[in-house]
Amino acid sequence: MEHVGLAAAASEVSLWSLFMQAGLVVKLVMIGLIGASVWTWAIVIDKYISFGKAKRQFDQFEQVFWSGQSLEELYRTLSERTNTGLAAIFVAAMREWKKSFERGARSPIGLQMRIDRAMDVTMSREAETYEARLGSLATIGSAGPFIGLFGTVIGIMTSFQAIAGSKSTNLAVVAPGIAEALLATAIGLVAAIPAVIAYNKFTADAGKLSGRMEGFADEFSAILSRQIDEKLQPRQAAQ
Amino acid sequence: MKVSLGTSLVLHSLVLGLALVSLSAPASFDVADVEALPVDIVPVESITQTQQGDKKAPPSQKPSPKETKNQKIVDNAQNAGENNVDLKTPPTPTTKPQPTETTAAPKPVERPTPTPTPEQNQVKDIVKEETAPKPTEMAALPQPKPEITPPKPEPTPPKPEPTPPKPEAAKPTPAPLQSENTSETGELPQSVPAPASRPQPPKPEPPKEQAKPVEKPAEKPAETKPVTAKAAETAKTDNKATASVKPSDKKEGKQQETAKSSSSMASDFNADQIAALLNKQEASGGGAKRSTQVASRGDTKTIGTGLSSSEIDNVKGQIQGNWALVGGLTGVSEVRVKIRVQLDQSGNIVGEPEVTATGGPEGTRRAVEGSTRRALMKSAPLKNLPAAKYEGEKGWNVLVLNFDPSEFAL
Repeated sequence: MEHVGLAAAASEVSLWSLFMQAGLVVKLVMIGLIGASVWTWAIVIDKYISFGKAKRQFDQFEQVFWSGQSLEELYRTLSERTNTGLAAIFVAAMREWKKSFERGARSPIGLQMRIDRAMDVTMSREAETYEARLGSLATIGSAGPFIGLFGTVIGIMTSFQAIAGSKSTNLAVVAPGIAEALLATAIGLVAAIPAVIAYNKFTADAGKLSGRMEGFADEFSAILSRQIDEKLQPRQAAQ
Repeated sequence: MKVSLGTSLVLHSLVLGLALVSLSAPASFDVADVEALPVDIVPVESITQTQQGDKKAPPSQKPSPKETKNQKIVDNAQNAGENNVDLKTPPTPTTKPQPTETTAAPKPVERPTPTPTPEQNQVKDIVKEETAPKPTEMAALPQPKPEITPPKPEPTPPKPEPTPPKPEAAKPTPAPLQSENTSETGELPQSVPAPASRPQPPKPEPPKEQAKPVEKPAEKPAETKPVTAKAAETAKTDNKATASVKPSDKKEGKQQETAKSSSSMASDFNADQIAALLNKQEASGGGAKRSTQVASRGDTKTIGTGLSSSEIDNVKGQIQGNWALVGGLTGVSEVRVKIRVQLDQSGNIVGEPEVTATGGPEGTRRAVEGSTRRALMKSAPLKNLPAAKYEGEKGWNVLVLNFDPSEFAL
């Protein structure tokens, strides 16, 4: 008699039936966590693609930049399209340079500062796009287990209440409720673990990218300042 | 972002779908079908307070020893049992009758003359009829015969000559049996040719006869049979089995029986007489108290069951109710009274009750003793004593009560 009951109970411990047996709160928690997991992986995929693309663009641009091609020409070709990363920084700096230089800059120091500002702004804007949504990964990674635990606690509470109502502590009665409650924690962990790993990886990647951008900006500003000196001195000498 | 969100959704639905299919229901643990072990908590009374009964019987309300078949009443028997004399020793187990081997009668002087076997058909018929009812161990033996018989054609010549169809021909059967037995034991009465365990001598014979004829008639002509008989005699020492089976080649069981009886008559040794002379009285023990009831659970002897404290209180109360203590005694509070009274089954006092008071001043003690004795006599017969607890060392056949001053009177 008893193992008939157990067998019947065991057949109801499938994943779907566990989910369906759960209470409303636990169900909501589980759905939310599954959504979080979906979002996490969407971010992961997106970041993976965009970081890969950014890296490739960086490499490409650096190749072009250091190929000895005229910067004017490069600026002309790049300024016609929307740019990201190093190209954006280069374009911003060149635009500033052009504006100031064509109108006739009076002080090389002011020009240098403006160019640096322009590059900084662009750089921080780019870095922002790289780091966008990494915050939500961090949130999911840290809060996911807690949310799952909350669902578990609620589930266990309700299953204990149910046990008290059924007046039986038979394991076959107790087990499904607890298993169903634990499912919430499991889903929380499933969502949180990739989120934490991805967050760590992508923040490191973003840091690397922005480091590269900074390095480029410094180098470029050095180049520009040399240019400024070269171009302004003849003027000053002329004056 | 939309693309990646879409791929993420697709991946999740894939993974969840797979999980739903593959992780649907974990295999449930095998629960061994172990029956619950009943545990009895055994009170110490089951050792200290026992009633005579059967150790294996189910417990019942009323104690009773094992049912006895012998219903001849023995006066004043205390120990239940079948014995005619009431003994305290446990009954000696009746030993199984040992299968003793009795030796067969010595060989008949006359030589077995095999009857001519012209009527083979008859033989067969008889054989079939008899074999059906008693396929005994002997039946297995006949097989070796055919082998042996052919090699011994030498003795045959003498036998064919005497072949006249006589009832004596039957005799060969007893002879082989004897040969078996004689080899094992000395010579003993002829009357019991059969194995010792069987009381009726005539019965064992038919199977042997049957066994032999069955094979022989089918395989060999009648002439060979006499040969076998002789061969058996000669080969007795060699092969017991073959010998025993062979001789019984004769056809009709009746003839053989008659032949046997005649042979037994011939010997003057009578086993029955000797058996009658032996003392068959078995050493015995056990009580003689009879019981007609089915045994209840109990031990081999009655240690008795003591009165419970509430039952003792009940008795004390009966006595206290009749207790009239004279007032004005000094030192009553130091007196202790002990009553030892013999009772019969109905609670009446048998003999003089022993009432002893201790402690306190002499006069007070005597007064208390007297009043106690009066109270006791007045309250006889004592009521509400459980009959089941009367007997035994702890039973109330002898009732001992102790009173302290607070219990002297109600």
